[in-house]
Amino acid sequence: MSDQTLRTPFPERASAALKDTFLQQALGIATTKFIGLRQESFAGFPEGEALRDRARAVKEATLQKLDGYLAELADNVERLGGHVHWAATGEEAREIILRLCRDRGLRRVVKSKSMATEEIDLNKALEAAGVTPVETDLGEYIIQLAHEKPSHIIAPAIHKTKGQVAELFSKELKGHFAADPEVLTAAARKELRQKFLQADMGITGANFAVADTGTVVLVTNEGNGRMVTSLPRIHVAVMGIEKVIPSMTDLMLFLAILARSATGQKLSVYTTLVRGPRHPEELEGPEELHLILLDNGRSAQIAGKLREALYCLRCGACLNVCPVYRQIGGHAYGHTYPGPIGILLTAMLKGDRSVKELAHASSLCGACHEVCPVRIDIPRMLVELREGLDRDRIAPWGERLVFKMLGRVLGSPMLFGLAGRIGRVAQKPFVSDGRLTRLPLVFGRWTRSRDLPPVAAKTFTQRWKELQ
Amino acid sequence: MATREEMLGRIRREVRRAPGLFAASPAPRPAHPEEAAAALRREMMERWPAALARFQEELERVAGVFHRVASLAEVPGVIRDLARQRGARSVVGWEPAALGLDLRATLEPAGLSVTVAPPGGGESARLAHREAAAGAQIGVTGVDWALAETGTLILVSGSGRPRSTSLLPETHVAVFGKGHLLESLEQVGIMLEALHADAARSLSGAMINFITGPSRTADIELTLTRGVHGPKEVHAVFVEAL
Repeated sequence: MSDQTLRTPFPERASAALKDTFLQQALGIATTKFIGLRQESFAGFPEGEALRDRARAVKEATLQKLDGYLAELADNVERLGGHVHWAATGEEAREIILRLCRDRGLRRVVKSKSMATEEIDLNKALEAAGVTPVETDLGEYIIQLAHEKPSHIIAPAIHKTKGQVAELFSKELKGHFAADPEVLTAAARKELRQKFLQADMGITGANFAVADTGTVVLVTNEGNGRMVTSLPRIHVAVMGIEKVIPSMTDLMLFLAILARSATGQKLSVYTTLVRGPRHPEELEGPEELHLILLDNGRSAQIAGKLREALYCLRCGACLNVCPVYRQIGGHAYGHTYPGPIGILLTAMLKGDRSVKELAHASSLCGACHEVCPVRIDIPRMLVELREGLDRDRIAPWGERLVFKMLGRVLGSPMLFGLAGRIGRVAQKPFVSDGRLTRLPLVFGRWTRSRDLPPVAAKTFTQRWKELQ
Repeated sequence: MATREEMLGRIRREVRRAPGLFAASPAPRPAHPEEAAAALRREMMERWPAALARFQEELERVAGVFHRVASLAEVPGVIRDLARQRGARSVVGWEPAALGLDLRATLEPAGLSVTVAPPGGGESARLAHREAAAGAQIGVTGVDWALAETGTLILVSGSGRPRSTSLLPETHVAVFGKGHLLESLEQVGIMLEALHADAARSLSGAMINFITGPSRTADIELTLTRGVHGPKEVHAVFVEAL
């Protein structure tokens, strides 16, 4: 996301999103549809719950020996004739790819959807070096033409109408295209087919990498992932170090729950297993395979408070159910990864300070924890993040003071009772229709965008005594 | 630039520092994958009819088309009909040895242009074949496994089995028999463990594709649209005698 976006404080970005009526409508329709598809898919799949537990256990087991599995993966990729690169930072990963392009004189790159390459802001670096990267996932292609950023992990262009896409295609692809998804998809197919056939290099992410076979796994629906790994001379895959899994047996477990969680499909249309570059007796496939293993803040969380976020499969299910995401959409978060898991991943990649506002963009309702295919306890980590922001004095002093006082009051029955009595009297001028809708002074910042239930006329203890 | 030793060393230090969230182990793997795979193949020789029914149901659910013919000799007829209905002029297919039949002998007399993949590799053969595959309207392949619970075709690339045959043409026709049927993803796991346990087979081809229906997207207003980059149609032809 551009620095410009981040200069606007989060509450203002969120307010702007709330006023965007089209965005509101599109988000409502999209997230509700995804929730329904996911529910339907798991309803007909009673073994799914046990598979989720097992998948979670595999992720945890892998982290417990992550160094060993990565070494095994690297050895096996090399045994198959691939090259393995180690990138401690996003900058190193970009430099590795730029050098590959430079050394081989490559100018045309096709990409299949990859959050890891978004994370390292690869496209900007390629363009600056005179290399043209073409995004080939339809949603990513649309937002690349529009010079925007993805707003949802698996549906990057859900914030755009078909009318807007038609207008964009008519301008950029020189022609007239009707506002019909069929027509627009056909136009993209035709345009991108040529790009696939001409490209020198294909860049992908990786959904998984199997350590004991050296296999890079891509899951897609459109077929662009297959094009990118079949036609260009060179395939570069960028993956976070946490994507490694031990075996093919484990892979089947993840495949059984990934698409169901993301789109409600039993399997995505294409699951592509890449086993090194083209073998000598094969007609097609890339001559060179480069696997870039990206750390970029991940290893520091192996023993850190965000460890569990390293289980994430990037399915997007937690976005769809989040009451905050459903209202503000992905762009307002201001970073590569939006939604509840995105807050944790942003803290992982850019440090706690970068989420001092976002850490509060959650109602802690637990819906994300409930739908996560590997049951990541996102609310627990959000609370720990908030705690850390206070402890490390990153949160503003006023906020820290309020919480300190609140802690005092809540920790003492005497003070708590006193505060209740004061509140019951003091709130009188501000109650309307049984709600506190406008508080004075600094408290007004709370009620500016939410109502509060008033302090009850009698405490629970009093009513309990009366009942007795 | 980080080296392998630096990065792994750092990860190792962190792993040692971390207690882990709970006791956990990876999924249990078959102890003797090749024996497990052989046993499964024997079992499927009994159970294939139910798996076939399920395969058809799931394939149709993802908008694939199911065909059933008595013998390989009837397959070209299916392709000829598909070509006629779609106005298709050219067909690309796997090498006759890999496919089990030579499409040229039967389809060329019917006025179709047929390109079959040559065995082995080579730069000029690659470029010539790519051009033919990109221009063909129908691609004909075999399969390695057909997964019933999801309606999925699984294809391992290799000599005479180019990966683009099931990708570039608008219509993909896959030919399979009862010996290819599997019931669950778990069984696919056993087959893949067995494939990798066998040193010769593990190097057979660099790509394995799971194909579950035609290419699709819902990226514009969540409207389901087929054939965005890959085939718009997938036809699975079950051959009784295979």
